[in-house]
Amino acid sequence: MTDEAIVLNETIHQSTRLRIMTMLVGQPASDRLAYGFIQQTLRLTGGNLTTHLRKLEDAGYLVIAKEFEGVKPRTWLMATPEGRRAFAEYLANLERALNWRPAP
Amino acid sequence: MQNAEREASAIQPVESWNAIHDTMDRARSSMYVAGMEAILLLWGAIVAVGLLGQYAIATLAPEFASESPWFPAPLWGVLTAAGFAASAILGHRASARNAAGAASRRAGLRVFFYWLTVAGAAFAIPAAAGLWTADVEGITIGRVSIGIVALGYILFGIMHRPVLVAVGLGFATPFYLSSHFAGDAAMLISAAATLLVVALGAAWIRWSDSR
Repeated sequence: MTDEAIVLNETIHQSTRLRIMTMLVGQPASDRLAYGFIQQTLRLTGGNLTTHLRKLEDAGYLVIAKEFEGVKPRTWLMATPEGRRAFAEYLANLERALNWRPAP
Repeated sequence: MQNAEREASAIQPVESWNAIHDTMDRARSSMYVAGMEAILLLWGAIVAVGLLGQYAIATLAPEFASESPWFPAPLWGVLTAAGFAASAILGHRASARNAAGAASRRAGLRVFFYWLTVAGAAFAIPAAAGLWTADVEGITIGRVSIGIVALGYILFGIMHRPVLVAVGLGFATPFYLSSHFAGDAAMLISAAATLLVVALGAAWIRWSDSR
């Protein structure tokens, strides 16, 4: 293991955003999850979830789609290819960080 | 300000690693228990109807019941088939509200086949053990079948939603106790206990989901 600096993606390396990205990237690429499902599974308040979704959307890691099913509005979330790449890179760096040992 | 926020939300790599695994487990289990509250109430009602039906036939037509000890099989067969159809619809609707795509479809199919296997075992194991004969009391078959169904709840609960362990134990225990000690009233007591247990289980699910 080299002493090269390990940089973890700051957008993803935050407890709530990490969990959101894990849920989205854990699905096949064509799948999407409902806003309410993520909120309930992660036990977040609406305001908290929206704040973090906005940051991830601004980074281009997910897309938010609002649709109507009959008269009911429904918000769907989906990881973008860029989000999947960033998450894979984050995981690789995280693994390096976990295995890092100071040089003797 | 930004630094303060960064420090407040900073997590260690090992915490991140644990959070990823915890989230994957939670997401998977959430998909597997989609619609559980309604499905639980539905099966509580079905089991209560089955037990009351069995009690009514044994009480109102005792000759038929003794001449045809197999009568609970078609009764439970019809109820179980109807329950599975209704559960599939409820589960599919709940799942479609949570997620769209292959993963939720696969989760739904796994849950469906899990419970189909449990229900199939509840019928097939007593049959394979030679219990579906005139020499064996109906209650003996019931004891085996209820045990298998309760085991299904306990295993599913251990994997995905612990309250289902309590539900499995909660409906099996009164059934066994009443079948040994309550005589003819056993079916009535079991039906009431089952309704009570599933109502408490569903209320617990609703309460814990809303927290």
